[in-house]
Amino acid sequence: MRLGIAIDSRMCMACYCCFTACKDEHAGFDTALSKAQPQMGQFWIDIRETERSDSSRRVKVSTVPTPCSHCQEPACAKAAKDGAIYKRSDGIVIIDPEKSKGQKAIVDACPIHAVYWNEEYQIPQKCTMCAELLDDPSYLAYLGDPKLKKPRCVEACPNNAMFFGDLDDPNSDISKAIAANKITQLRELEGQATNVVHLNVPTRYLAGTVYLPEELEEVAIGASVTLKGKGGTYTTTTNYFGDWEIEDLPIDEKFDITITHENYKPITLSAATDSDHYVGQTFLSK
Amino acid sequence: MAEKVTHSICVGGPIAIHSENGVIRRVRPIIFDKDDPQPWVIEARGNKYSPYRKTTTAFIALTEKNRAYSYDRIRYPMIREDFVETPDGQNRNADNRGKSGYRKATWDEALDLVARETKRIQSRYGKEAVTAITSSHHSWGVLGYKLSAFARFFRMLGYTQLQDNPDSWEGFTWGAPHTYGYYWRLGGTEAFDLLEDALQNVETMIMWSHDPDTTRGGYAANESTMWRHWLDDLGVQFIYIDPFNNFSSVKQADKWLAPRPGTDAALCEAIAYVWMTEGSYDKEYIAKHGHRFDEWQDYILGNGADRLPKSPKWAERETGIPAADIKALARRWAQTKTMGGSGLRGGFGGVCRTANGTEFARVMVSLFAMQGMGKPGQNIWVGTTGAPMDYNFWFGGYSDPLSQIANQPIADKTAVNCVTQKLYRPNLPDAILDGHYEWYGEGFCGGGIDLEFTEHVYPEPGCSEVHMFYRYGGTFMGSMLDTNKWVKMYRSPKLEFIVNQDIHFHGESRFADVILPACTNLERYDIGELCNSGNGGYQSHSQTGNNWQIVVFQDKAIEPLWDSRSDYWIFAELAKRLGFGEDYSEGRDELAWCKRFWEKSDLRDKISWEDFTKKGYYVAGIPGTERERHYGFRWFAEGYPCDTPNHKPFQEEGKLGTFTGKFEFVSESMLYYAPDDEVRTPIATYKPSWEGHHSIKAKKFPFHLITPHPRFDYHTQHNSSTPWIWEIPENRKYIAGNPYLIARIHPEKAAEKGIKDGDIVELFNERGSVLCVARVTYRVEVNTIHAYGSSGIYNPTVPGEISTHENPDIGGCVNILSPGRLIGDKVPGMAPNSTLLDICKWEGALPQGQYFESKLDAVAKEADPDAETCFEIIEGHGFEAIQAKVRAKQA
Repeated sequence: MRLGIAIDSRMCMACYCCFTACKDEHAGFDTALSKAQPQMGQFWIDIRETERSDSSRRVKVSTVPTPCSHCQEPACAKAAKDGAIYKRSDGIVIIDPEKSKGQKAIVDACPIHAVYWNEEYQIPQKCTMCAELLDDPSYLAYLGDPKLKKPRCVEACPNNAMFFGDLDDPNSDISKAIAANKITQLRELEGQATNVVHLNVPTRYLAGTVYLPEELEEVAIGASVTLKGKGGTYTTTTNYFGDWEIEDLPIDEKFDITITHENYKPITLSAATDSDHYVGQTFLSK
Repeated sequence: MAEKVTHSICVGGPIAIHSENGVIRRVRPIIFDKDDPQPWVIEARGNKYSPYRKTTTAFIALTEKNRAYSYDRIRYPMIREDFVETPDGQNRNADNRGKSGYRKATWDEALDLVARETKRIQSRYGKEAVTAITSSHHSWGVLGYKLSAFARFFRMLGYTQLQDNPDSWEGFTWGAPHTYGYYWRLGGTEAFDLLEDALQNVETMIMWSHDPDTTRGGYAANESTMWRHWLDDLGVQFIYIDPFNNFSSVKQADKWLAPRPGTDAALCEAIAYVWMTEGSYDKEYIAKHGHRFDEWQDYILGNGADRLPKSPKWAERETGIPAADIKALARRWAQTKTMGGSGLRGGFGGVCRTANGTEFARVMVSLFAMQGMGKPGQNIWVGTTGAPMDYNFWFGGYSDPLSQIANQPIADKTAVNCVTQKLYRPNLPDAILDGHYEWYGEGFCGGGIDLEFTEHVYPEPGCSEVHMFYRYGGTFMGSMLDTNKWVKMYRSPKLEFIVNQDIHFHGESRFADVILPACTNLERYDIGELCNSGNGGYQSHSQTGNNWQIVVFQDKAIEPLWDSRSDYWIFAELAKRLGFGEDYSEGRDELAWCKRFWEKSDLRDKISWEDFTKKGYYVAGIPGTERERHYGFRWFAEGYPCDTPNHKPFQEEGKLGTFTGKFEFVSESMLYYAPDDEVRTPIATYKPSWEGHHSIKAKKFPFHLITPHPRFDYHTQHNSSTPWIWEIPENRKYIAGNPYLIARIHPEKAAEKGIKDGDIVELFNERGSVLCVARVTYRVEVNTIHAYGSSGIYNPTVPGEISTHENPDIGGCVNILSPGRLIGDKVPGMAPNSTLLDICKWEGALPQGQYFESKLDAVAKEADPDAETCFEIIEGHGFEAIQAKVRAKQA
């Protein structure tokens, strides 16, 4: 068994229910597995909102709720001494609040900054995947169905953006969700197996708008846009607003952009995916 | 003692509360068990859609524990330390209100004082010398709500009623009824079964100053979020029109258009121009259902009195949106099945709260009419209401007279106010300070379009001015405008006695002479249904904003903390002291009142009182696919008598609620009641704002401030008491004990002003000054500053003094900066989004803390030397210590 959480960035509206449920569960309460989360300063599930824009003509925000990834081979465990960090048989990574005392190296070892330092207790702290609740048979016993028991963040998600279950079971909710979506590992954890799986985190987009000659004050609908990069060619056509966009392009590549529209001169531009770009308003000419 | 699970409901949705040994452990959403009913199914475009088997919450619902044990809880009855109970009400150091500290009082001492003063003032000046008002929804539940326990008390006492303005939708209330009726829904339309219609038919959604993931259907938790994802997955195009690329837009928009604030009606007119010149509107529908369309068309095309064509090029100059984009928008709308509207439930958008908001609403309705409103896939519908519902199950909502303890049949005897004098909330300070005020309207004018034109004079002939103010729940410092005006009112000796009854030590509480501590919903009994504002009320059948119709027994999870008491208890105790205790309670305690709501509703036929209170909630069964359907407005489009559940007699003849029963492009009601109204002209027109980019003031204060309904709060009731959420980067930034509000500015303007992301900035104009933290972002229109309104935190650097450059507010109370005037002489709405200001980097020092904690700490320490201080509760172990004390007491 390998318990995990899948998080779908496309469905996440950054509503902060997961964040608040986590605070509600852990702030101010010691549990069987962890010391209390301080009221302020720690975010065991941190919603990382990134504005993807260089123009008011096109703005998107990616929302990536980020708890501890519960890595298969945790970097934090390697940095820990005295077995202060252990991986349970269900795959959940736990920091022992006693043994980890004074070990600030554990905080620094986490590639995604999901471990927090508690200055008062001198301990590192992070998400437990609510293992202490999963372990407790009396918790939610009144619902009469153990399958309804989930980590607090997953239970609180109003939008089915989070899935919990056994990654080893192909019929679990989480395995089905992963199979149906695009796995987008956090960049810092590339190549590593983790029990928290991020889905549909966008990479880069290039976008623009095509207009007929300026004096006509008309958008160009159905113009062809071709992006050529070293990894491949992408094509699209402009929509009813003359807008075009290609999402999820490879990062840090250069693209030659060609815009063609019947009866008008082709236009060539270039852009790179060092970040997301709106390449501009392009006016066609005869 | 074992963990106990009880249930409640709040503005953020229904919750399950786990408590043990007298303290609350956690707050969760309600997960349904196998005995709860199955969900509805909508079949559309080859798919089947059903909701999940749980109730959602807004995140604020999950802060309820934090809010109960909050640092700013009012723990004890308190009396202003320099208040003197002079026999004539004079020389009471009124000018020190807001500055002075408090001393702890016993309940007897505080209640006796309030009773004595009430009697003194009413016998000296008359019953009308007392006024009182509540904010909306600081607690949920039909027993404790303002129209119930509060209303019963004050109507029995006799008082000058202080009317609310429809502050969330203004423009739609005062404008839209003159085009298509629906005054009984305050200008909003009917969304019955339109979720199914949309899933089956719609191709384009126009989200005009609408941020559904922020306003969440009003108080419908996150119930409708999934619906919009379903539509998105079907390829429905979402076009967001808002000076702020709002939180729904940045995740879901296919297109964002950013008009300069207050120019939206110009954009609407240009859309009409395109349709008229290209012939791309439903001519047959307009011929049948429109009234004096030709005259409006003349105006739009430049053949009217102003000879100005409302062309896309003209609108580009006003709105800043390229003419080509305006044409593209107009054509997409005309060529595809389009639904949309403004703000939650179609008429609550920030654009409605501008100087031109009424005209925007009227032109907006006209646009939907031009595309055959009511036909499949063509309607005013914004993706937040209209789920299937069992229309035959009735439990009363808060605005329903049948479900208030003020009235029969819940009470045996209805409470009637003997005073006819009234006051009007937006201008209460003007009325008190000037001693005279005149206005039109009845606040909420759902009873008839004529009510908008009722004339009021304060004081009413033969009546006394008001000398006692009883303020209950929440704070208007934050939600009402021109905050400094309120400060001046509170410091006026004309108000001889001020009572504040609240849970938390809000901005307004700090100006009271006596403060009465109420407890939260988790500490008392109540009963209520999710998002039910009252069938037959102004937002009838608002529960169609939910996936589930759920009535919750709001059980008492814990005993009231410290010396706080339930609102009902406080009113009942005061009634006793004033001689009408028996009449007030009719011998019932709170639980007995809750049972009356069960008994007088359909709940009684569905579940026994014992089973209901044991289980804690009841979910109404949802009819299957053969269920009744009543698509909103379809009856009008297709010309049969109205079949939707919320209708009026004339609708049975297939008519609208206008004079002619048609869409009025020249308003006969305006011509009849107020042909000289300069704001709402007979033909609705775009008019530059009295505080906008054409104003002379814009030379000095070049930025527009917009203050939409908050994402991280509900009115003023959560952000202030919930430090957890102060660290949400898009909400606030916590610096040295104070949470500074985020204010957004465009990168181009930020560069001009030398402002970097994260800088402390001063927002200022002639009304005052507020310090915020800058967020430099492409998400705002270039001339716009965006900062959420309704800040529950109000902290001028010198407490009790008005905000100025020397005394800036650090709480983020940006309504200090917004205009206190009404939209127009005859339009009694407010316009916070017609505010001009300037912004600069703040170079001054930053204070420590929030200024008011010392007052609370002093009283807490007076009562208990070991008491936890505010700061210990925010950042330290105060919360744990408070819980430990209760646990120890239980053991």
